Amino acid sequence: MLVSWKWLQRYVPLNMTPEDLAQRLSLSGLNHEGSQAIDQDIAIDLEVTSNRGDCLGHIGVAREIAVLYDAPLSIPEARPAAEGPPVADQVSVENRFPEACSRYTARLIRGVKVQPSPDWLVEALRSVFWKKRRDGSLEEYQPINNVVDVTNYVLMECGQPLHAFDLAKMDGGGQIQVRPARRGETLEAIDHKRYELDPSMCVIADASQPIAIAGVMGGADSEVDESTRDVVIESAIFSPLSVRRTARRLKLHSPSSFRFERRVDPEGVDWASRRCCELILETAGGTLAEGSVDTAPHTPAPGAVTLRLSQLERILGIQIDRDEVVRILTRLGCEQVTDQPQQIAWNPPSWRHDLTREADLIEEVARIHGYDQIPEDAPIPVAPSSKRSFDTAVEQVRHLLTAAGISEAMTPSIVTDRLDAMLSPWTDRPALQTETAMLEGARRLRRSLIPSLLGSRAANWAAANRHADLFEIAHTYQPGARSSDLPDEQYSLAWVYGGSFAQSKGIVETLLGRLGVTLQMEVVGETLEGFVADQTVRLKLAEETLGFVGVVSDQLQKTLKLPEPVTAAELSLPVLLAHCQLVPQFQAVSPYPTVSRDLNFVIEESVRWSQLRNVVRSALGTELTDVRYQETYRDPEKDGQERKRVLLSIDLQRSDATLTGNEADQLVERIISRCEQQLNARLLDS
Amino acid sequence: MSLADFLSSLQSLQDEASEAFAKVSSQQSLEDARVRFLGAKNGALRQIQKQLGKLDKDEKPQAGQKLNEVKRSLSAGLERATEALADAQSATTGPPADPTLPGEPLRLGHIHPITQTMDHLKEIMGRMGFETAEGPEVEDPWHNFVALNIPEDHPARDPLDNFYLATADAVAGEADSQLMRSQTSTVQIRVMENRQPPIRIVSLGRVYRPDAPDATHFPMFHQMEGLMVDRQVTMANLKTVLRVFANNYLGSDVQIRFRPSFFPFTEPSVEVDFLWNDQWIEFGGAGMVDPAVLSAVGYDPETVSGFAFGLGVERLCMRRHNITDIRDLYSGDMRFLSQF
Repeated sequence: MLVSWKWLQRYVPLNMTPEDLAQRLSLSGLNHEGSQAIDQDIAIDLEVTSNRGDCLGHIGVAREIAVLYDAPLSIPEARPAAEGPPVADQVSVENRFPEACSRYTARLIRGVKVQPSPDWLVEALRSVFWKKRRDGSLEEYQPINNVVDVTNYVLMECGQPLHAFDLAKMDGGGQIQVRPARRGETLEAIDHKRYELDPSMCVIADASQPIAIAGVMGGADSEVDESTRDVVIESAIFSPLSVRRTARRLKLHSPSSFRFERRVDPEGVDWASRRCCELILETAGGTLAEGSVDTAPHTPAPGAVTLRLSQLERILGIQIDRDEVVRILTRLGCEQVTDQPQQIAWNPPSWRHDLTREADLIEEVARIHGYDQIPEDAPIPVAPSSKRSFDTAVEQVRHLLTAAGISEAMTPSIVTDRLDAMLSPWTDRPALQTETAMLEGARRLRRSLIPSLLGSRAANWAAANRHADLFEIAHTYQPGARSSDLPDEQYSLAWVYGGSFAQSKGIVETLLGRLGVTLQMEVVGETLEGFVADQTVRLKLAEETLGFVGVVSDQLQKTLKLPEPVTAAELSLPVLLAHCQLVPQFQAVSPYPTVSRDLNFVIEESVRWSQLRNVVRSALGTELTDVRYQETYRDPEKDGQERKRVLLSIDLQRSDATLTGNEADQLVERIISRCEQQLNARLLDS
Repeated sequence: MSLADFLSSLQSLQDEASEAFAKVSSQQSLEDARVRFLGAKNGALRQIQKQLGKLDKDEKPQAGQKLNEVKRSLSAGLERATEALADAQSATTGPPADPTLPGEPLRLGHIHPITQTMDHLKEIMGRMGFETAEGPEVEDPWHNFVALNIPEDHPARDPLDNFYLATADAVAGEADSQLMRSQTSTVQIRVMENRQPPIRIVSLGRVYRPDAPDATHFPMFHQMEGLMVDRQVTMANLKTVLRVFANNYLGSDVQIRFRPSFFPFTEPSVEVDFLWNDQWIEFGGAGMVDPAVLSAVGYDPETVSGFAFGLGVERLCMRRHNITDIRDLYSGDMRFLSQF
């Protein structure tokens, strides 16, 4: 919102510097965006928050200044002489769309002489209607004529949009309709573009067709020009939602739509109409018809709001003198209704839609009194706070992964179809989509983090960073059973890594060890889109899927133009965290020596390590402190086809005594016979 | 010769040899030791081996086993001595060593600067008693708007200003639609719906708004939202907490100021600025929790009051690390990531 330094002085004396004023306004709610010298004037650019439609005109800003500097405020009376016959006999308004238009007023001036505007008017409009071009030069306001310029002037004076129609160009004379547009109707607006209208939009129409898009822009056909003799002045209230939707749909935003979206003063509508007529009579002559046509002359008064003085201190933490409170609210236009020692009831002014509750009045008092008055040495009481175990665990995860040489990336949550289609280990349901794309073409809520990381790895490779080993911790969005369900947002950890399948899997195992997961992880072979068939597994903890590890398929690797194989893993953090023991518990260290033995078994190819390990483990109790895989090799000539040799090491130890060689032999014997019985294994002599 | 004698002479040979190999200091002494112990004709081992035939037949396997063992041990000893000599010679006669050559660095990964910033923020707020809370990123209009006192005709709900999900049977903005949350304030509501005051939380996470990406805008960014609700919480408390926070984060005594602003979920609402390097820096929005929000979650605004604040994590992160383009944060580019 641009205000002119000179123009403001029509309503309030400015006995300060423009810099001081800008600063003061910034600190009371009208943020100063910048100032621009225009001829002999200064245009001050103020940011007006969406609740303060009243400050979208000079009078509103002047009122703020008057309160802040305790200066007198003078507002024109706007009492034009109405010497013509009653307007009601010449103009009618039929409101068929009250949801979009709560009040419509019309006045009529006959016999105007349309000509160029006087200098004072042009100068005022030039100070606030310029635009800055890209090269920094100013695009000046082009004055139109004395009638149209006056409507613009009053708009910038009080924030109420006005429109002037040429009565002669309205079909059927002064029979105005406010109605939904009809399907297929179009209108050429005063910007000389033609707009296609639909029944959700409100239009002002004459007997046959729309002559304006309500609250947005007038039509070219009924525009006031040099030939115009009689003008109808519209001053109305169009609903914010209707105007916003129409402006959005037509991609047509105007100073009018901007103000209607932020609400206009329901009582100021008539003042603006009178003021507009007054200035037209002054600059263009003519005769004003007596009275106005008004579809809703009585606006319901909002109720009084009570401010308890105790609440100021309860919310702001400071005491403010009663006299100061009364001064501030009175000068802002509130009317005192009752007056008790501890509380005062107020009728807020009609232009302040935002003052309906006690909290609103507290804010008014606070911002005018000054937030600098609020102390910054009011500490809050001490309260304990503990770190969430989630944060502790995730911190450990990050430490471990960075120690493995993998770096943390953050990639967009919404991905392209191409990335989404690469792989989706968690679900077969199609990804959720946003209505608008987040980045170019990216509309799908990702179901896995891996494709994004693969994309990053590929981009790194293209930029000659060979080893982009990356991890990410973020939500994935697993669609629910029905489209109305909020998705299951799973906190996931994923990485892409140049190491082998065994190395990637080893990271998972180390992670579980570090986080104190004592459950044995179950490993199930899995065929997944985007992964190599026999080098991909599903990992489970207590029957729940912890995640997946696998080697990315050749095809995907080629598509990504990655020169070397890459492994990927994705884990569910909630499943991981459900089984971790973040506070390690000390296990007594046995002072007695450990006996290690190597066992070399010949077993059938189909027996997996996990089976062998489980059988070895189950053969003994606590004396068996470790089972370690060493290696596998094959000698079909000696062992026969479909057999393999698996070398493993075991550690034996007692917590209460030294294990003798004899005891150790017996324990080993138990393992051997168990393996023989259950796995048809044969121990090789060393 | 008895088996015992045979074994013990082998043992003493092994001991002697390992001592001799350890003392090797020149090519000559190496050759001497080799001939003495492993010489093919008259070496000490060969001499003992000749005695094998004199043992009883049933003693032979054990003797042979030991003999082989010692033979392996001697060969290994010779090999080690040869290598040690070569090493010693190259050390004295080869090119001089350069200890200033770089060591072998560990190849460690890097933690993302946004994570580092968020951990820092959590840590500072944690010391003031604020615990971390989180919530979903896909939200319903109740949590993202309605409970936050954002009415249906508010521009913040416009489909063009949010990422609504394209669902077959819901109209964007209507009660049954879903959207990517546009602010972390949603977590305020989720926490307050489930707990009674006193409440002190911060929630950090991703939020989404359709901004065209440029150096300072990205359609996905992070916010930290703080909320405190209790009896007798005032705006003076808010100012104090934010000042302490700023002093902590920026590391010096920082001036703070409030400018009036407007957020539907706070009243009064303010913008918070910090004076840093003689410049007022916009820090974020804050205010006293709007009574309508307290009522929406079933609190009595007459008994409890509270403050809330929200700030952009990227801005703090970028300022701290002198990052000039927000898009770098989400590029996954190692040239960027490896600097943190």
